[in-house]
Parts: sequence; structure tokens; C-alpha cells
Amino acid sequence: MVTKIAEDGRSRLLVPKLKPTNSQALPKEATHTELALEGRWRVVVVNDPVNLMSYVVLVFKKVLGFDETTARRKMLEVHELGRSMVWSGLREKAEAYAFTLQQWHLHAILEPDETH
Amino acid sequence: MKRIEVKLALTVVAPLLDVVKELADSLRSRPAGPSGLPDVDLDFSVEWSRELVEGQRAEIDALLGLFGEDFFKEGVVAFDDQNAELILRACAAIRLRLRETLLKPMGDEALETGDIDLGKLTLAVRRAFMCYLFLATLQELIIQHLDETILGG
Repeated sequence: MVTKIAEDGRSRLLVPKLKPTNSQALPKEATHTELALEGRWRVVVVNDPVNLMSYVVLVFKKVLGFDETTARRKMLEVHELGRSMVWSGLREKAEAYAFTLQQWHLHAILEPDETH
Repeated sequence: MKRIEVKLALTVVAPLLDVVKELADSLRSRPAGPSGLPDVDLDFSVEWSRELVEGQRAEIDALLGLFGEDFFKEGVVAFDDQNAELILRACAAIRLRLRETLLKPMGDEALETGDIDLGKLTLAVRRAFMCYLFLATLQELIIQHLDETILGG
């Protein structure tokens, strides 16, 4: 089951699972997974030529709880710069936001946040 | 409950519904967009996609539900708090699928700027592009009149 953001903003049904990167070294693999899960992750929305500006603003307000000004600013970042980071934090919640944004058919991706 | 009714020109919209239905079928089995997940295991990725597709099915059902018997009698479609969000999303999904299929020859820049000479398009591409615009119009109508309903829902 995939994590979802409920109407109250809390995540539900989460099963974050990272793909192991080294099948021969179990302890190292476990350490990698633990660090990845504990690290910070960014939810980035990537521009597409399809979705309307007004639609993207609505989705940002609905899913991320942005006010009108923030939603418009983030939408313009996506439009003009090609992408915008809309949230960062723990992976499980980042996955939940990315999933919900994808349910709204925005091109949302997850990236490790290496600034922390 | 806020509700808006829109009278559509049957002769214009009816031919576009074939395009909608054709693409709707593909959205019942595959997500409209890429997954965007780094390094997740296969099970998780499959489950992610499965749940997206499940949502898309409900969206498509809501959109196609607009164009039933009543529509072909009166040419009227109605949006309310029960269907607005689903239809909004269905329109986005179909527009994305149009981009990657029937409208691919037009290119992204033309789609984004709308700088298109309709006379140079083939009949099939022109019909797909009209469908693309029609779905955007439905989205604009819903956002303009029912955004508070969606945000409050």
C-alpha cells in the first residue's frame, strides 16, 4: 500500500522500501537503507506543457496547503525554471506528497535533499 | 451544494468524445505520468502504479458519465461537488495522454504556446487538438466556478 496524504494532512498506509544497491554485502546494504530513510528528501514538481497554470495553482493549494501567493509563486517557478521544490522532509511523507501530486497528474519526483 | 450546468454544441463535442473514449481506455491500465521514484523496489513501484491507475479509473468514469443519454438529448453537462474534482483530474490525465500519443507530432513548444496553424494539421491531429482544447475549457470552467468546492472538499 502506498502512503497517502489524508484531508487532515497526515500520511496514511505507508510502506517506504528502498531498492537494495548491493546484494552481496548485507550489513552495508542495511546501513544504506537506514540512512536513506532517515535523510531528507525533496518533492520537486517538473514543468510539463500540458497542465494549465490555474490548475497547478489549485493543486498546490489543495495538496500542499499553500496560500494563493505561494501557490502562484511556485507555479511560476515550475513554468519559468522548469522545476520547483515544493516540500522537503522525511522520505515517507515526501513519498506521500509525490503520490498525491501524481494523483493530480503533476510531474512530481523525489530527490535526496543534500543541502542538509 | 453549488452546481453549474453548461450547454455544449452537440455537433462540435460529439466527435471529440471518440478521442476521449479511445484515450480513456489506455488510462484504465497505465498511469498518465512517469513514476518519478528513485531506487524503489519493484513491488513498491507496482503498487504505486496500481493505486494511481485505480484512481484514474474513477476519474474516467466520472468524465464519461457526463456524456450519457441526457447529454445527447439536451447537450447539457453538469458539474458539482460530487464530480468536479474527478473530472478535473480526468481532463488532465487525458490531455497528458494526448500529448504523448496523438499530439506528439506537434511538439511540446507548440502545445505550451498554442502557436498552431490548424490548417496545417491532419484531420486526426486537428480533432485530437480540438479535444485537448475542449478538455482545458472544462477544466477552466470548473476551476473558475467550483474551486472553493474542491479546496474545501
